Amino acid sequence: MESILEARDLVKRYPVGGSEVEVVRGVSLSVKRGEFVAIMGESGAGKSTVLHLLGGLDQPNAGEVIIDGVPFGSLDDEHASMTRRTKTGFVFQYFNLLPILSVAENVALPFLIAGVSVAEKRSRVEEVLEMVGLSEKVNHRPDQLSAGEQQRVAIARALAGEPAILLADEPTGNLDYATGAEILDILWDSSERLGQTIVLVTHDARAAAYADRVLIVRDGQIIDEVRLGRRANHDAGPLIARLAQLGL
Amino acid sequence: MRLSALAWRSLAARPLRTGLTLLGIALGVALVAGTFLANQASAEAVERAARDLYGNADLRVRSFDAQIGLTQRAVDTLRTLDGVEAAAVVAERRLTLSTLPGDNERVFPLLVIGVDPADEAAVREPALAAGRYLSTGAPNEIVLGVAYAREKGLALGDELLLTGSRTEAPVLTIVGLLEPTGFGALANGAVGVMDRSVLSEAFDVPAPITAVDLVVVEGEIDVVQEGINREMAEPFVVETQEDAAAELGAAQAGFAGISFLFGLVALAVGAFVVTNTLAMTVSERTREIGLLRAAGMVRRQIRNLVLRQGLYLGVIGAGLGVALGVAIGAAMIAILGATRTVLVSGLPIDSQALAVAFLVGVAVTMFASWTPAADAAAVPTMDTLRASQRPGRSLWSRLRWIAIIEVAVLVVGLVIYPLTRGTSPLATIVVAVAVLVGAGLAAAFALEPLGRIVSSPFTWFFGAGGYLGRANLSRDRARAGLTVAAMTVALGAVVALGTTSASADQTADRWVNSIMPGGYAIRLPIPVPIDDFTPVFASVTGTKVASPVALFPAVLDDDGVRREVGMAAIDPTTFEDEGSLIMVEGDRGVAFEALRDGGAVLIPQSFASREGLTIHRNVTLDLPGESAAGFEIVGIVAYSLPGRTGEASVIMSLADAEALWGVTDASLWAMVRQPTVTAATYEGLVAAAAADNAGEPLSAQQVADRLTRSLDELIGLYDALALVAVLIGALGIVNTLSLAVSERVREIAILRAHGMTVGQVQAMVVAEASIMGLVGGLLAAGAGVLMAWAIVATSSHADFAAGLVIPWPLLAAVALMGLGISALAGVYPARRAAKLSMVAGLKGYE
Ligand SMILES: Nc1ncnc2c1ncn2[C@@H]1O[C@H](COP(=O)(O)OP(=O)(O)OP(=O)(O)O)[C@@H](O)[C@H]1O
Ligand SMILES: [Mg+2]
Repeated sequence: MESILEARDLVKRYPVGGSEVEVVRGVSLSVKRGEFVAIMGESGAGKSTVLHLLGGLDQPNAGEVIIDGVPFGSLDDEHASMTRRTKTGFVFQYFNLLPILSVAENVALPFLIAGVSVAEKRSRVEEVLEMVGLSEKVNHRPDQLSAGEQQRVAIARALAGEPAILLADEPTGNLDYATGAEILDILWDSSERLGQTIVLVTHDARAAAYADRVLIVRDGQIIDEVRLGRRANHDAGPLIARLAQLGL
Repeated sequence: MRLSALAWRSLAARPLRTGLTLLGIALGVALVAGTFLANQASAEAVERAARDLYGNADLRVRSFDAQIGLTQRAVDTLRTLDGVEAAAVVAERRLTLSTLPGDNERVFPLLVIGVDPADEAAVREPALAAGRYLSTGAPNEIVLGVAYAREKGLALGDELLLTGSRTEAPVLTIVGLLEPTGFGALANGAVGVMDRSVLSEAFDVPAPITAVDLVVVEGEIDVVQEGINREMAEPFVVETQEDAAAELGAAQAGFAGISFLFGLVALAVGAFVVTNTLAMTVSERTREIGLLRAAGMVRRQIRNLVLRQGLYLGVIGAGLGVALGVAIGAAMIAILGATRTVLVSGLPIDSQALAVAFLVGVAVTMFASWTPAADAAAVPTMDTLRASQRPGRSLWSRLRWIAIIEVAVLVVGLVIYPLTRGTSPLATIVVAVAVLVGAGLAAAFALEPLGRIVSSPFTWFFGAGGYLGRANLSRDRARAGLTVAAMTVALGAVVALGTTSASADQTADRWVNSIMPGGYAIRLPIPVPIDDFTPVFASVTGTKVASPVALFPAVLDDDGVRREVGMAAIDPTTFEDEGSLIMVEGDRGVAFEALRDGGAVLIPQSFASREGLTIHRNVTLDLPGESAAGFEIVGIVAYSLPGRTGEASVIMSLADAEALWGVTDASLWAMVRQPTVTAATYEGLVAAAAADNAGEPLSAQQVADRLTRSLDELIGLYDALALVAVLIGALGIVNTLSLAVSERVREIAILRAHGMTVGQVQAMVVAEASIMGLVGGLLAAGAGVLMAWAIVATSSHADFAAGLVIPWPLLAAVALMGLGISALAGVYPARRAAKLSMVAGLKGYE
């Protein structure tokens, strides 16, 4: 299968009081179309930083990211923005939504930004909201939704533009177990039924167990890769066992 | 850490916002202080002018009819009265001076005062800006008002001619320039003083002696008064220095009130900005305050913390404001002095006025910090809610306090009002500011619905940025509302000024046209025989009619109540045929017929309403030394010809004036043009005829312009003041949006993550600012017209008799100005928003 996301030798340094710390140290990875990949690691390992680099939210000090054939590094703001709009969808841990917009408007946000007529995309918005089970709440405001519902809206928005790849950073981090599972089920569902490519950052093995493949990050490097393969039961046992071997 | 240190640190942590807020307070206080000083300067100038006009003189005996003047016999009588120590004679004549004949000969209409230099020394000493005063034995000298001379490019040593004088009249040399006080304060400074003998000998008819100023021996005032009443055989009026001050002061009555009004407007705008800023600081720090509460700080301490911030802002801002105010005051005084619109003295550093301005600034800031302080104290111990989404409080409950604050500003204004020694009606000011502030508050409520309406072009133009910019406005309606309110009040002041001035202009046009049949006239410096001069003026090429008007004073007796009035005797037929005189009451045809038949008068509306006179009432008119006669009031006119002191005259027919009192002289001829000559040609012909007869040509256009000139100049100054208020409003926008941007870093990062470009983010912020400004501008247009209406409706001034004129282009310009200034104010926050790092934003920090 062709690779839809390529990262080569990514290095990210941050200036910290005079000197610099290297928080991503030579990360290379490749994600195939339709694949569900998880990135795991302890807090501070550099997971979010890697994800931001993959989505073009931040520029690496060295290395390069190619998404669906487009090298991010060479793009100006206009084109980088366009690439984000068309190729990627983001879900973050919390406060994903604009409080001033309704659920439907939040989902239609990428279209609004793109200058596409929102009316034209109405059916698409309804479709993704249906998918996340929120058809009833199109006109609600974010503050009228539960945290889990808010995350579902965020996923609907990320999926609305049919991105080449969906990037999620701890989407269940703020949720209780049951609600988190609902979110992961939606992601799984999109991967299963639509063949959506997903990169999920998490420190929770039970979430990572949904993935086909888990990359383990420590100190800014990928130290291991666990191939779980496609499994309908999402059993975290094998992954936990493997992590235990690594001392995690 | 001490509370004060904490309060201080909190301000220092936000240097930009603190700086902008300080500037807002400082500008408001500066305007108050500056207008105080300018008002003080104008009040002092009036007093000084009257004092210098009288010098050592205790009494001024003025002739009843300034055009006839006192006789030499009367002067001699006054001089030799018991108790009179010294006397000085003053003759007056309006005439035209010109530079020496040649290519660039220029003419200057002036009030020329003739004095006897030898007598003057004992009575008064003129204040000179340059050169020296008239010397005895050198009669061919003249001194001019300094600002007038500068305006006309005249300098010491220049030579002038008395136009229309006898050919052997000498050339006058300018030897000195008068400060705008004493004689120099008369006629707005368009004045010259020269030797009376030369002035009198230059023309066939001597300049009338308008007054004799008397220096009285200590304690002998009553004796002299009695002597005057006993010995004077001709009509006279006795006046004192206070009368002169009142007359000079009346001319600038409105100034103090209106400029004070702008100080209040600026303070009101400042109060909006301060409340908003502190409220923003509190809401931004809700979490921090929650932590402080958790750490054991009690509510009172939290409230004191915010109040202390208000105090610091107030003290520093007001301190800066006072310093800036001195500069603004100096600038205002310089402008007023140079344009001669209002009498002003040098910059008075009145420490009491400055202290009041300072305290007002601190008080308003403290008042304005009360609501945010109370809000802060109400924060629960651990508030993890998002700061801007404090639920459960209606817009009104959040704005109620600012309404109270604004009322406080008004009350403070009323309390300190006497300081300005204003004489214009207080009601006007209160109503005007109340209208404006009310409109400002209404703006807070109207922002959302209006924003929706006006935002469609922005959505079209800015795309997603415009859409989100509009949506952002509903995020915190109180905050956005207050920001717009400040802008609305400031821009409203600009609209109100424009509308008031347009209304006054229109009134002036109507006024002049209605009293000047034909639109042209010739005014002579002294009354001349009608029978001799009417044929002269009628023979001017292109003249249909030359219609004489005799102006003289009389006493009107209305059932025993006697008042001095100016009379204008006219030829009713000319005025009727030319459609002159606007009848407010009474039938036009009937009234003119009655004037022709005799025994009838028309009275001006201002006079009628002031004296409670009504149509068909019978009154008696009396000329000193002549027989009294009864008249019926057959009509009330909107405007009438101005008498000696500028008040409107009572109108009668020339035939009556001649038959009853032997009036056969006139000093004014209305010139009606034949349609066969063009207006421009005719104007030149009239000017030539006027010059040939030592007269002054008048055209309706030019008189109307002159009438409105000083008002327009004042309005220009006020506009500058109002623009300072607009600037404060713009600072409010910068403040609000800067905070909005720092509050929304995470949202902006999310928008960027979803593909929003830097340009779109900037557009979003600029659109938000623009919509605020446009709404503010639109509401200001309405509020300003309303305010002008309040001014026009509550002022008894005849300046606005033509009613409200709405200057539509100005309204459009102000709406656009609101848009433009706000868009500019949005640029800085927009740039900040654009610079935000997405990654940092996602972490929720700036
Ligand atoms: N702007 C920055 N300046 C300096 N160091 C930074 C900056 N941003 C991140 N870091 C450091 O980079 C490292 C990786 O951060 P990152 O947010 O990627 O970790 P993470 O794996 O996502 O952790 P978590 O599970 O807690 O989200 C951390 O040690 C952090 O301190
Ligand atoms: Mg992270």
